[in-house]
Amino acid sequence: MTRKRPLTASAAPFLILALLFPTGTACADPLPQPIAFPHMVHVTGYGFDCLYCHSSADKSQYANIPSVWKCMTCHRTIATDKPEVKKLAQYWQEKKPVPWNKVIDVPNHVYFPHWKMVNAKVACLTCHPGMEHAWVAEQKREFGMGMCMDCHRIRKASIDCWTCHY
Amino acid sequence: MLDRRQFLKLGGAAAFATLFGGCEKTRKQIIPFVLPPENQVLGEALWYASACGQCPAGCGVVVRVSEGRAKKIEGNPLHPVNRGRLCARGQAALQALYHQERLSGPMKASGPRGSGNWQPVSWEEALSLLMTRLKNVRAEAPASLLMLTEPMRGHEGLVAGRFMKAFGSPHRVAWDPFGRDALLAACEAVHGVRDLPEYDIANARYLLSFSGDFLETWVSPVHYAEAYGRMRGSRETVRGKFLHFGPRLSMTAASADRYLQIAPGTEGVVALGISHVAIRDGLTPPAAAAGNLMAAGLSAYSPEAVEKRTGVRASDLARAAKEFFGNQPGLAIGGTACGSGAAGVFNHAAVELLNALSGSAGLPGGVSFPDRSRAYARYGAERSLLAPPPESGYAAVRDAAGKMRKGTFRMAILAGSSNPAFTLPPAMKFAEALSNVPFAVAFASFLDETSSLADLVLPVPTPMETWGDDIAPVGHGGAVTLRQPVVEPFRDARSMADVLLAAAAELGGESARALPWKSMRDCIEKNYDGPGERLEKALRDGGVFPSDAAPLRAMRKGAVLPPKAPREAAGAVDPGKYPLALHLYPSTALYDGRGANLPWLQELPDPLTTAMWRNWVELNPKTAERMGLADGDGVTIASPHGKITAHVAFNPGLAPDVAAMPTGQGHSRYGRAAVGRGENPFSLLPEAPEGGASGLALQAGRVALEKTALPTRLVRFAHPEGQWKLSNLM
Repeated sequence: MTRKRPLTASAAPFLILALLFPTGTACADPLPQPIAFPHMVHVTGYGFDCLYCHSSADKSQYANIPSVWKCMTCHRTIATDKPEVKKLAQYWQEKKPVPWNKVIDVPNHVYFPHWKMVNAKVACLTCHPGMEHAWVAEQKREFGMGMCMDCHRIRKASIDCWTCHY
Repeated sequence: MLDRRQFLKLGGAAAFATLFGGCEKTRKQIIPFVLPPENQVLGEALWYASACGQCPAGCGVVVRVSEGRAKKIEGNPLHPVNRGRLCARGQAALQALYHQERLSGPMKASGPRGSGNWQPVSWEEALSLLMTRLKNVRAEAPASLLMLTEPMRGHEGLVAGRFMKAFGSPHRVAWDPFGRDALLAACEAVHGVRDLPEYDIANARYLLSFSGDFLETWVSPVHYAEAYGRMRGSRETVRGKFLHFGPRLSMTAASADRYLQIAPGTEGVVALGISHVAIRDGLTPPAAAAGNLMAAGLSAYSPEAVEKRTGVRASDLARAAKEFFGNQPGLAIGGTACGSGAAGVFNHAAVELLNALSGSAGLPGGVSFPDRSRAYARYGAERSLLAPPPESGYAAVRDAAGKMRKGTFRMAILAGSSNPAFTLPPAMKFAEALSNVPFAVAFASFLDETSSLADLVLPVPTPMETWGDDIAPVGHGGAVTLRQPVVEPFRDARSMADVLLAAAAELGGESARALPWKSMRDCIEKNYDGPGERLEKALRDGGVFPSDAAPLRAMRKGAVLPPKAPREAAGAVDPGKYPLALHLYPSTALYDGRGANLPWLQELPDPLTTAMWRNWVELNPKTAERMGLADGDGVTIASPHGKITAHVAFNPGLAPDVAAMPTGQGHSRYGRAAVGRGENPFSLLPEAPEGGASGLALQAGRVALEKTALPTRLVRFAHPEGQWKLSNLM
């Protein structure tokens, strides 16, 4: 029995670390959404500019999820027979917002101003690769500080701590 | 001890957590707008300019709005009244907007009126009830409609005034417990203009204050405080001096260079004493035309005689006269306490006489009367509906209460924050009188003592959710403030003006012709968008601010002596039975009581006593010692008209034999934050003002104190003797 004691000591911190720092950002499936919104159809199919829906990406910290009203400006007449569009119409009729599940998030200690990136001509797909082909929104590139730093170094943007952490 | 089985279990759990831990993260949601607010950018704040509605001062505000929610209120830097500043009461409007107890829909009284039982009804039902009553009253006896509100300014006042006129009822009454009746009468007597004077404090070199409270609650405290700051510190070579006479060390008095204590109600005597010295010693400028004042009765106010009556030393009076007349431009300002006693008009007139004698009237740094009604000149005789004089309306309310009792009125419309059932003296028996009116409808955001007495309560939006315009009583510079909704209304509320406009359209005939607008928004848009005016710019700036100064109204040349102070009616109140003079003053935080339902204002420490959440009675420590009272003791305060309890708070700067109390606490109905915080000092006041003043007699009463055990405690922010006193730390 005494020989097994070191095993206890090695297992416990491992467990604690595992619980403290979950590494599973690479979940197999995209998050289910109340409406299966296909970026594929809108961006690749019809060539929508990202800023048409995410209209505050060049003005604000947040890129903005379009209001139900904005979706309905087109879908009052377009594709009204599709089951997913019917769901949308239902929300509009009930004057309820669509409760989207949040796909992309950065930790609270990071300040990420979308407008600075967009105005510095960083393409949206740099950080959100493959979004134009997504049938359900999914973040394919993992956000880590390294990724930000690489880009900031290449573009000679500030790498001062306070640039993003304040 | 860990065996092999346990180790494998632990290891497995750890591996599981490592692999799938990420998927166990709390799932977050993003909720988009259904209909986005106009102009909003997510994460970016928008600032909308509007008008403050927390007191009658009429400041301009800007409100920070994020994602359709108001977050912070500040002063509008472009606005001539407050020039970017705002007081605590203005800031607290935010809490009224989000208040849990705000009425969320129309309500009908179920059970007897005033019982506090309500039944929610739809707007359709409420309006049909209102219209049925209005139509009946108009068909049978239109003059039996009473409208009792707080003073309304701008087009809201025009809508209310025209509605009543077209309806055929002359009974439109506006009630303001702190109306400036005495000051208006005094200005008419001395300067020949019945209006509030504009005191140019910023450019004055010397300030004489007679119970002035212009830095806390009086007329336009933010305006005067901002100007006072400039008087003290914005000029390179001059730092204005400030001398204060009064019975109580108030916040304004505490800001003065010298505070000279006087007996309560003797402000006018002191002012005449100073005039006496000035004329005797030839200090007044020749242009002041002071010639025959001595013969007209000023000779009776020699410094020695004044010292005997007021307690101010003759040498101090002589020094004040020398300094005041030697440092012109200077101003003499009387405050609430100066004008709300038996000798109110006399006191104010005596103070204004100093302004008339100073030779600075009408000049920078002096007193003047900018024409307030210029902005509404196009309305001709109706101007007074848009810019009414800031009177209390006490006589009209008393008259209306009498008529209610006689059954003259068949219907009453109640509105505004002045809450007559709370602020009127109990002897008037307002609630009982109102019960004789068969139908009462109240427009209110909260259920207070007055709206609780109605049959029907219609919720109104807060000032931050309404359209309107306003003109400030002082400091306006000819500017009109515009009010616009900075957020979508939070509750199912409609403004009184909107309801009156809709009612007028339905009544048809004369009413519909007098009020041609569809809504208040329509009214503002039609009035402020046209040749030479652009509504968009006006809304962005927060008002129409003319570049030229408002023309000054002509003042009387030469000085006149105020009429004699009325003698106290002999035997009215026995000083033996009621040994202390009552001194009521508006609370810095709660004003007349309208702020009492906001916890932010309740927890705002009083600047002098640092007390909060409850009311108190201030006593001079020596007076208290003589009566065997200690700081914090419970007392019963009895006047011939009522009896209340409060805790004693020492104010060493208060004149002996005076009991001073702030107004505003003592609500029986006004929500959780307001109820159960002491008793109402207004209930100590006599019904009829004794003497010449026509407003509430805040200083005219006498009281007796008796020690009483109270279950409560007075909460204070700092120790009454100073929190850093060594003995408190040891």
